[in-house]
Amino acid sequence: MAMRQTPLTCSGHTRPVVDLAFSGITPYGYFLISACKDGKPMLRQGDTGDWIGTFLGHKGAVWGATLNNEATKAATAAADFTAKVWDAVTGDEVLTLAHKHIVKSVNFTQDSSCLLTGGNDKIIRIYDLNKPEAEPQEITGHTSAIKKALWCNNDTQILSAADDKTVRLWDRNSTEVVKQLSFDMSVSSMEYIPDGEVLVITYGKTIAFYNALSLDMIKTVDAPASIHSASLHPDKDFFVAGGDDFKLYKFDYGTKEELESYKGHFGPVHCVRFSPDGELYASGSEDGTLRLWQTAVGKTYGLWKCVLPGELVENKLSFTTATWPR
Amino acid sequence: MRPHVSVLRLPRGPDPNGRGFDPNSPRFIALCPTTISASTETGTDSVQMREEQRARSVLRESFLRTLIAMTNKQVQFHMYERVKVEAKFGASDIDVLNFQVSELHTPIGVQKEALLRCQDVISYSFDL
Repeated sequence: MAMRQTPLTCSGHTRPVVDLAFSGITPYGYFLISACKDGKPMLRQGDTGDWIGTFLGHKGAVWGATLNNEATKAATAAADFTAKVWDAVTGDEVLTLAHKHIVKSVNFTQDSSCLLTGGNDKIIRIYDLNKPEAEPQEITGHTSAIKKALWCNNDTQILSAADDKTVRLWDRNSTEVVKQLSFDMSVSSMEYIPDGEVLVITYGKTIAFYNALSLDMIKTVDAPASIHSASLHPDKDFFVAGGDDFKLYKFDYGTKEELESYKGHFGPVHCVRFSPDGELYASGSEDGTLRLWQTAVGKTYGLWKCVLPGELVENKLSFTTATWPR
Repeated sequence: MRPHVSVLRLPRGPDPNGRGFDPNSPRFIALCPTTISASTETGTDSVQMREEQRARSVLRESFLRTLIAMTNKQVQFHMYERVKVEAKFGASDIDVLNFQVSELHTPIGVQKEALLRCQDVISYSFDL
């Protein structure tokens, strides 16, 4: 019998959660970092949502956050005009990289040796973390604030999305534009899937999928409401999206069919990402919470417990989160 | 109405008293030595690492003892932007992010109770 999804609510932030990222799968599980306008990004255990620590040091809203694959380093981008690199084991601040305007996006290379930053000064910067005092390599071209900058194609290229309504693919060595996509409106989010080279872009009510190497469009899907963020499942069978109407939508990637929608957040959904094992997805909202959602509802995983029909009567540990009346 | 999926417990929230990163967690214990920038992983350097740890412990203990010694004393703080203030030191918070002080003498007057942001302090001095 189909069960109702029980999202797990992670509280702690006091302002909207604007970005989140998962690490890779490490010997200690996988981890989740959340960027929040309260200036205090948090690290959580990825499969349970348990709080591990808070990175203290930023003096303004944190707009972007990321972890390296091993979850040993974290990076954050903030409104205090800095990007910071942190030791994700001790929580200590390791590096502060001063910028000339609000920083919005940070991304590590696969080997964690370089950090990509982008923000309101319209310049993409590459920092060599082994030589942090050296001047970063700069890539110019965007004519408006950069929302997101990501490494792609084995860290040889860079994808960037900006408020100038373009998504650009750059060559890291020549710093020249290789290809460019133009839209009628600003891109609200971008996700890069290295396995299969897929780029997920959201704008308006549309979730669009592109080949990350050629920037050829694969398909587009329209949602019932304006979408702020979407994420493709590692097996590329589902994708999830969330936006203005506070709901999380789950779609079949192959058929483009809307499969489910979930209420739970009390504000617009700003970011959503699948975990590296695809078993859950996390969403961050204007309501200041992160929520974890099961991909296979009812499966035993993390804090969710599969309850067989005979056990239901005895089970007294059924938690439900406050939801709108159905 | 369909039943909700059962949950063992809710995710643990932040500890109001600290910033987390439990040094007793398996991950911290396993990975921490590599996070000390001055140490390496070769066998011959384990002596160096022990020495460094000893030095760090001594310095840390001295620092904590100065905080105790400073309690209720007049302390002069040198801060960024050529700011020099004097106050009676009360206490530090657990992560040494803020100092609680009283009778803070500033160029624009005396503040009865204040918090000084430690990041803004360059140095401080007091008489024993």
